[in-house]
Amino acid sequence: MARKEAIVVDQSLPPAGWVVADSVIAAVAARAASRAPGVLRLETGVTELLRQLGERVRRRWIGIVPASTAGVTVSRDDLGVSVRVSLALAGGARAVIVAERVQQAVAEAVRTDTGVELAAVEIAILAIEPETRARVAVL
Amino acid sequence: MAVNQATEDYLLPCARRLEDIWERVDAGVPPVDEHERTCPHCTTARESLVLLHSATRQLADEPLTPPAGLTGRIMAAVRADIRRATMIPLPAPRGGVQISEQAIAVVLRFATDRVPGVRARRCTVRQLPGAPPGVVAVDMSLALQYGTGPAAQVMAAVRAAVLAAADEAIGVRIADCTLTVEDVFL
Repeated sequence: MARKEAIVVDQSLPPAGWVVADSVIAAVAARAASRAPGVLRLETGVTELLRQLGERVRRRWIGIVPASTAGVTVSRDDLGVSVRVSLALAGGARAVIVAERVQQAVAEAVRTDTGVELAAVEIAILAIEPETRARVAVL
Repeated sequence: MAVNQATEDYLLPCARRLEDIWERVDAGVPPVDEHERTCPHCTTARESLVLLHSATRQLADEPLTPPAGLTGRIMAAVRADIRRATMIPLPAPRGGVQISEQAIAVVLRFATDRVPGVRARRCTVRQLPGAPPGVVAVDMSLALQYGTGPAAQVMAAVRAAVLAAADEAIGVRIADCTLTVEDVFL
């Protein structure tokens, strides 16, 4: 999807250093965030939904199911790679604490699975559904 | 008198129903009134819906059935974009956490509805200018049931429920909480 936006992970390595595409970082981040306690789902905007619908058509031709990147955007600047995760939360846990744990979980998953050290994990809580309860009692 | 809104309906910040706009877009009907032509919330919603409508048309024209629950996903996507427009920062230790004002409002309305004899109506949340992150002002309108008890007591209970919910469920402090009783019901 975002193959041309591939980035060099470690600038200090010789040109043979490995490269991780933004869509891979997004997929790893999306998976980690959606599994964090208190998270109901990731929220997708109009632009992303359009892309998903297009992707669905493409998928028919190539016959694979790509990992979902919905709800995550990846950006790069002088500081490095950052991700922004849009969430809907369940009730029963303090939103600011759930968000903090998602930040940790995403940073850790991306570090482990891709080797990329994220400069920032931004969280946008777009919805809370108080009638649903978080499955964990620890929060 | 209906005091309960169906949970499936989504109200725009201007109190119009998103579903109504979708129905008109789907039927190819232009905006019905001056409000819908000029309101920033309505026009933003309409633009997004028109875009999605043409995309789903293309998809429907293909020999491929549209994904199940597509309308629901369209509504959720438009809702997400609208909510993204009004974000306020939360006091997270490492920063970088924002919440939509409407997500906070949903939690506060839910807390209010749990006070016996009270139904929350509109609720707006905004960040206080110049205040640190996580300090907000709340305006909420209510409907009260006849015979619930002295209004002062009921309002104190609502205020306590709202303040507690803001702290426990979200992590914000309410510096200013204005309650307006708009209606009574039997």
